[in-house]
Amino acid sequence: MTRKIYPFYFIAIALGIYIIFTVVPSLMGIYLSFTDWNSYSREIHFIGLDNFKTIFSSNENYMHGINNTVIFTISTIILKTMIGLLLAILVNKGIRLKNFHRVILFLPAIIPMLVVGIIFKSIFNPEYGLINETLRAIGLDQWTQHWLTDVNWAFKSIIAVDVWKGAGYIMVILLAGIQAISHSYYEAADIDGAGAWKKFRFITVPLLMPALMVTTVLNLLYGLKIFDTVYVLTNGGPGYATDVVYTQVFGQFTLGSYGVGTALITVLFLIMSILGYFAIKLMSREEQNG
Amino acid sequence: MKRLLSIMLGLVLVGTMLSACGNSGNNNSPQASESAAPSQESAQASETTSAAPEKKDLTLSYLASVDWIKEPEMKLAEKFEEQTGIHIDYQIVPADQYLNVLKAKMAAGEAPDIFGGQSGKFDLGPLYDVENNAADLTNEEWVKREDPLFVEQATWKSKVYGLTIWDPSSSWVIVYNKKIFEQLGLSVPKSYEEFLKVSEAIKASGVTPIYEPVSDGWHHVLWFPELGVRYEELAPGLADKLNTNQETFANSSVLEQSLTQFNELATKGYFGENAFSNTYADTEKNMASGKYAMTVYGIGLPAQIEAAVPGSSASDYGFFPIPLLDNQGLNISPGAPSKFISSNSKYVEEAKQYFNYLTQPDNLQYLLDNEAKFTTLNFPGVKAKFTAEQNAFFETYGKKSGTVYQTAVNYLNPQWTDMGKDMAAMMSKQLTPKDILKNIDKRRLQQAKTAQDPNWK
Repeated sequence: MTRKIYPFYFIAIALGIYIIFTVVPSLMGIYLSFTDWNSYSREIHFIGLDNFKTIFSSNENYMHGINNTVIFTISTIILKTMIGLLLAILVNKGIRLKNFHRVILFLPAIIPMLVVGIIFKSIFNPEYGLINETLRAIGLDQWTQHWLTDVNWAFKSIIAVDVWKGAGYIMVILLAGIQAISHSYYEAADIDGAGAWKKFRFITVPLLMPALMVTTVLNLLYGLKIFDTVYVLTNGGPGYATDVVYTQVFGQFTLGSYGVGTALITVLFLIMSILGYFAIKLMSREEQNG
Repeated sequence: MKRLLSIMLGLVLVGTMLSACGNSGNNNSPQASESAAPSQESAQASETTSAAPEKKDLTLSYLASVDWIKEPEMKLAEKFEEQTGIHIDYQIVPADQYLNVLKAKMAAGEAPDIFGGQSGKFDLGPLYDVENNAADLTNEEWVKREDPLFVEQATWKSKVYGLTIWDPSSSWVIVYNKKIFEQLGLSVPKSYEEFLKVSEAIKASGVTPIYEPVSDGWHHVLWFPELGVRYEELAPGLADKLNTNQETFANSSVLEQSLTQFNELATKGYFGENAFSNTYADTEKNMASGKYAMTVYGIGLPAQIEAAVPGSSASDYGFFPIPLLDNQGLNISPGAPSKFISSNSKYVEEAKQYFNYLTQPDNLQYLLDNEAKFTTLNFPGVKAKFTAEQNAFFETYGKKSGTVYQTAVNYLNPQWTDMGKDMAAMMSKQLTPKDILKNIDKRRLQQAKTAQDPNWK
C-alpha cells in the first residue's frame, strides 16, 4: 500500500454522499432516541434514558418483540442455510434441466413480499386455503391448523414463508461457491476411496466456508431487520403474538411516539453493529488464512 | 491547478448538498412549510384561472379507508368531472393500515388533497392535527344544512374542518337471521343470560352463532365502546368522570364486566373457529349462507345482503341491540367517516367545490337512493327509506338512547386499533380484561400528557 494510485479527494464526493445520507441520519436517529419527539407537539425535549427505560421495563411488551426478532433470525439462518445448501448440491450437477430447476428455485426470491403475503394468506386460510384443503383431501383432518391466526402456529408459519422465499437466494450464492471448488480435490478423494458423505464433509464444507460466512452474515442482518414478512402476513397478530422489533417501531410511529420508536431502532442498531463487527472480523480472518 | 479545481468542485458539490439538506431540515418547522405553500398555491391558482376559465384539467387525490367511499359517490365524482374537468383519484387503503398510511404521508409532506377521517370532537386534534393539516370549512354553505350533532363532531376549537355525509341511524346493532331463529324456536334475547342461551342453542344446531371478522382489526372492538348507553345507565356520570380523570377504565367494574362478557362469547366458541380470518367485506356473503346466525352491523345490512347475494331476502333479517350487560338501549354515534381538505393542498378551492357538489340536495338524494347501506342522511330534506323492520326496531328500542363511548370519552377513539390488538390478544388468551383496561388507561395518559391536558397534571 505504499504506491498510491489515486489521490484521496477522488472519494470526496462518494464520502460526502455517504456521510450526508447515511452517517448523519443515523446519528440524528440516535440523538432523537434520547428525546420525547412525538406527533402531538412541535418541540423536542431531551429526556435522557427514559425511552430506553420504557423499552426494558417489565410492564411493556418490547422485550417480546426483541425476543421474537432473535428467534426469527436464528431459525431463518439455520433453515435457509441448510435448505439452500441442500438445494445447491442437488442442482449442482447430474440432473436434467438443471438451469430450469435453478430458475424455479430462485423464483420466490424475486417475487415482491407483498404479493407473497397475499398468496400465502390465501394458502394459509383455515377454511378454503390450499394447505388445509389438501390435508382434508388426503384424510389428515386433524393436521389442519389456523396457520396464521393460532398463537402457536402464526410465528412458525411466518418463518416458513420467509425460508421459502429466501432459500433460493442462498442456494445461488452457495452454488457459485460449490462450482468454484476445483474438481481435482474430488478426483483425488475418489482415488483415495472416499464416499459421497466424506467428500461433502471434508472437501465441500471446508472450501465452502467463505460462501457460508457470506450467507450467514446476509441472513443475520436480514433477519434482524425483518418487517415486511410479518407485516403482510399477520401485522404482529393475533394480538401481539408475532410482533417483531420493526412492527413495534411501526406501531409506535402510528401512535405518534417517535421517540420510543427511534429508541427501539437504536437498540437494534447496537445489536446489529456488535454482531456485524464480529461477523466481519471472522470473515476477514478466514480470508487471511485462506 | 487541475488539482485545485477538482478540490474546489468537490467542496462546492458537498456544500450544495449540505445546504439542501439544511433546507429540508428547516421544512420540519411549520413556518417554513406554510410560507412556502401559499406562494405555490397562488401561482397555481393564477395559472389555472388564466388558462382554463371553465373546465380545469386537474386531479384531486382522495385518500380513504375501505368502506368510507360508497359506490354512488364515485359515480357522482364522475359526473363532477364531466362538469368541471376535476378528476377525483380515490386511493383506498385497508382499514387497519389507514391511519399509518395517512400519518406517514402527512409527516412526509405528501398529504392527499382530500383525506378521510373518523370525526369526533375530542379526536380531530390528536388524530389528524387538523389545525395544521386541514382547511377551515366553517364558512361553507353546507355547514348550515348539515345535522348540528354531526357538525359538532367535525369541529375542533370552534372551527369546522370536516364534511360528514353519513346515515345518522347507523347504530351498530345485532342483525340476526330470522329463519334460523324460527327453525330453532328462539326469540330475541332481552338480557345477556338469554343471549348466551340463544347462542348455545344455535351452536348446538351446527350453525356458528356470531359472525365476527377479527382479521380487519377494528370490528370486534365495537362490542366494547358502543355500549355507552348501558354504561351510563349502570354507572351514571362515568363518561364525565373519565373525561376529567376522576375515574380510570381499570377501576370501573362495569367496563371490566363488559369485556369479560365479550371474552366469554369468544371462549365459549360463539364466534366460531374462523373469527381470526373472517373479513368484514365477506359479511353479506357469510350471513346469507346461513352458516352464521348473527353479526354486529348497521341496520342497512339486510338490504345489502339482498343486493349482494342473489336469492336472499332483506325481510329474513331482524335487529336487536348488543345485549352485553343486559343492554336494551340504542347506541348513537354522531361521529362518522368524514372528508377533510388538506390545508397544504394546491387545490383547496377545487376540493371545496367538490364538497359543495356532493352536498347539493339532488346529489345527496342520489347517494341515499343508490347506497344500500344508508337509510337516511344527516342532511334535512332527503327522503328516507326505512323498512317496516327498521321502523319497528326504532319503536322498540329508540326510547332509551345514549352516545357511544368512543365519542363520549376523550382519548379513546385514537387507540381503536390498539384496543383491537388488545382484544384479539384477550381472545387468544394472552391478556385479561383487566390488562386491556390498564392498557387503555396507559394510552389515554400518554395522549393526555402530550396534549398537556390540565386534568392529567
